[in-house]
Amino acid sequence: MKYALLTAFHIAVLLIAPIYVVGVINRVKAYWAGRRGPRLNQSFFDMLRLMKKTPVYSEVTSWIFPVSSTIVLATAVTASLITPIVPGFAPFGFPGDFVAFAYILGLGKLFMMLGALDTGSPFEGMGASREATYSALAEPVLLLGLGTLAWASGATSFQDLVIPDVSLGMNIGLRIGIALALYVVLLIEAARIPADDPTTHLELTMVHEVMILDHSGPELGIVQQASALKMTVLMGVIAAVLNPFSVSASVVGACLAAAASIILIGLLAASVGLVESLIARFRFQALPLLTLAGFVVVMFVLIIFNVGQGHIQ
Amino acid sequence: MDLLLFGTLTLIAGMALCFVLPGNRLRIAANLVSQVIGGWCILSEAIPVLFGAPSVNGVMHWSYPVDQIDLQLNPIGAFFLCFSIPMTFLGSIYAVGYLSKDIDSERHVGTHFALLSLVQLSYVIIYTVQNAFAFLVGWEFAALGAWLLVIWQHRDQKIRFAGFNYLVSTHVGLFFLVAAIVVMHGATASFQFDDYERFLRQPSVARNITFVLLMTSFGLKSAFFPFHTWLPRAHSAAPAHVSALMSGVIHKAGLFGMIKFILMVGHPEAWMGWYLIVVSGASAFMGVLYTITQRDIKRLLGYSSTENVGLVGIGFGLGCLGLSYDSPTLVALGFGGGLLHVLNHALFKCLLFYGAGSVYKFTHTIDLEKLGGMHRLMRWTAPLFLFGAIASASLPPLNGFVGEFLLYTGLLQSPPALGSGRVGLLLVVALLALVGGLSLLSTVRLYGMIFLGTTRNPHSIHEDSRENAWMIIPMVIHLCGIVAIGMVPILGIRLIEAPTSMMLAVSSAPTESVTAFMPMSLLNSLAMFSALFVGVLLFLLAFRFWFLPRCNRTHVTWGCGYTAPNPRMQYTGASFSGPMVSVFKDMLKFVSQEDLPEGVFPADGKYKTHCVDSVEHKIFEILDDGEKGATNIMDRLPESSGFSFAMGLIGLLLLVSLIALN
Repeated sequence: MKYALLTAFHIAVLLIAPIYVVGVINRVKAYWAGRRGPRLNQSFFDMLRLMKKTPVYSEVTSWIFPVSSTIVLATAVTASLITPIVPGFAPFGFPGDFVAFAYILGLGKLFMMLGALDTGSPFEGMGASREATYSALAEPVLLLGLGTLAWASGATSFQDLVIPDVSLGMNIGLRIGIALALYVVLLIEAARIPADDPTTHLELTMVHEVMILDHSGPELGIVQQASALKMTVLMGVIAAVLNPFSVSASVVGACLAAAASIILIGLLAASVGLVESLIARFRFQALPLLTLAGFVVVMFVLIIFNVGQGHIQ
Repeated sequence: MDLLLFGTLTLIAGMALCFVLPGNRLRIAANLVSQVIGGWCILSEAIPVLFGAPSVNGVMHWSYPVDQIDLQLNPIGAFFLCFSIPMTFLGSIYAVGYLSKDIDSERHVGTHFALLSLVQLSYVIIYTVQNAFAFLVGWEFAALGAWLLVIWQHRDQKIRFAGFNYLVSTHVGLFFLVAAIVVMHGATASFQFDDYERFLRQPSVARNITFVLLMTSFGLKSAFFPFHTWLPRAHSAAPAHVSALMSGVIHKAGLFGMIKFILMVGHPEAWMGWYLIVVSGASAFMGVLYTITQRDIKRLLGYSSTENVGLVGIGFGLGCLGLSYDSPTLVALGFGGGLLHVLNHALFKCLLFYGAGSVYKFTHTIDLEKLGGMHRLMRWTAPLFLFGAIASASLPPLNGFVGEFLLYTGLLQSPPALGSGRVGLLLVVALLALVGGLSLLSTVRLYGMIFLGTTRNPHSIHEDSRENAWMIIPMVIHLCGIVAIGMVPILGIRLIEAPTSMMLAVSSAPTESVTAFMPMSLLNSLAMFSALFVGVLLFLLAFRFWFLPRCNRTHVTWGCGYTAPNPRMQYTGASFSGPMVSVFKDMLKFVSQEDLPEGVFPADGKYKTHCVDSVEHKIFEILDDGEKGATNIMDRLPESSGFSFAMGLIGLLLLVSLIALN
């Protein structure tokens, strides 16, 4: 019963939140620029419109192109089913599932890039190259961060490892440090400023958007849905890390945890919008430094934690 | 044991028939039949052992100084035999298609197939003998067989050079192995591995030296960094099936040697595990870093072998740590994950090399920058290669992921006894993640440049040498293995269960089965995860192509307003890896030749750049320096007769004093 309710909640969040996450980011950016901005659920109507259109493919493409966007969505959906949004619960969890999470998203990236290369466009090849570079550099941060949490919590399953089993002070430091590192991963993986500017108008400076130049109609809609879902899932993970409550407690606790996670996802979306409004995109050469910063934060947390465990006298 | 000997004799007979019979077709037919019969005999001994039957023992007598050779087919040897023999047979089948032009020509192709049988023979020797002398003989058979296979197109000077390079390197490895055996023979006065085992069980300085010597020798055989320099050259020179077999099967003997001698050491010291992990981590990282810079497909796949043996080595190192810290979980996950990756690597790497071979046969080029658009022209190779590429990037739901998942699980479940060492293992997790990301980039680049987009050089296509059934069938069989282990990981675990139990048996763990330490639930959930993904994917595909509007119109690719695009404007492999190369530019060495256009009416200019192997570059530099140094010393010696006389006296004095002291 509890499982069914929580699963229903999880799936409901995954269906609804991506629409509003995109809406909130755009609204914050518009507000900051002095505009009113689109409706919060605008992306839902955009999606419906795209789904009704007849796509036009490039002449060069093979079967990889139409299939790839659906595979990207399938990987995002699968990944979303093993990640916790509320600490202590994911619809499907097993030991080491966070490794599977990183790798299934990798499969999505692979097909995203193959779809881009399939059109034979130099611009899309360029976007794929940048995407591959940045995500490869972000990967160690993600897995080292989650690995540190796994060590601290003594659990190897994604849903449980976000609940560190350490003293209060250590707990706060650990959660904030890892959340910071994961935030860097979020900005890179979700192609937001400072890693990538989703609203830029010049193909030469795009990363994610340039890979979908030749996508149209349902393909474009599917890819956009997949990106929004992936962003929401990553925000859900950070929310779960920061969430002070967990489902393992009473019913009230579970409701509190769920509410806290939703509020945190909203805040994270707003913060992404805020970051986009306040800073410009980094130079491409500076991005490795951003991932390095994330890595250093995790290493710092890890070493402090190791000392705290009394391994270094 | 009788079947094993009978199988060996059949293989030898098959080799002889290749020379006796007239006509290439008859020779090949006889050889393939002998491989089937011999392989079947050998496997019917090995398969029961792999699934838990007791080891098969035997003794052979030989003249002085060897006297007797003990044979033992244990689960570890059986595991290696069980994939080596059928895969070499598949390689021979592929060879029939790949060498079709040579077979129709005057050339004696029988030699080539006889050498393939010789390699089969060397597996039987290496994986069963318990005698150092016989082991060395088998080792040498494999090395010489592989060398002669590599130089099949020996009229090309570059190929001969690559062949000699391989021959020299593999013998440097042999020297280390001989040195290790000399140390062990010195301590035990025996050639029997049983005696060596007794010596290796006791901690001593001699044991430490032996361990390092052995690991260096086996590292050279399996092309660990920095002993990998021969590998990309040999792989790019050899025919496709030979590269496949060398990378996937023959050089797995090095990994077999590692695990065999770790088993003999029994209770290794902690530094041995860390030593393996550090060397293997460096191999995995440097190997994958080099793959992103290569434009020759087979060189690229060669470096990818260095990466993958690195992953296996990390597993073995982890297992060693498990043995020294008495953690059965770590032993099971480390050795189990490593062995499974040995098999997985053999499956997908052979497939990729076979795919590269059909691309080469069709276009007569293996230069990434001159290919493109093969997806439409090669109906079978393209999708098969795609699956191999996904598996080689270790992505779910294919087999590469299963082995890597076990490694990750092992690294994350480190025992508390390790103390701060756990931070080290977490750093290895981060390294594996980086290697995974880099191999993703490399895979996309490899597949995208060969198969996607449009053909960069349409004149290079040879319609008369398309992929044929002889080449496709081995690839399809490899694909079946890749999908089967990926979707049903239990299958893979069944294969490595008995060998891993042997490793557990030497640890102080109670005699339980491997699966006690590798929770079934974990593998079942992995299978469910793969099934979940495939289910979601099929549902979404059905939804997309049934309910949503389908494409009925095509248009040129968007060129940002440019109206005269041509295939040469596509993104190249070099530019694809450009951003990543600039991040790691200090670790890579690029050599460029430039002749840039100058002036108002410039002549044609050119710019060539390529990534050289920095280790190989360094070796040649040192050799060059050494030669210069020697010449310098010679130049400085005064040429007067008095000096020579004095030197001669000193030499004589030394000789006399040596004799007197004895």
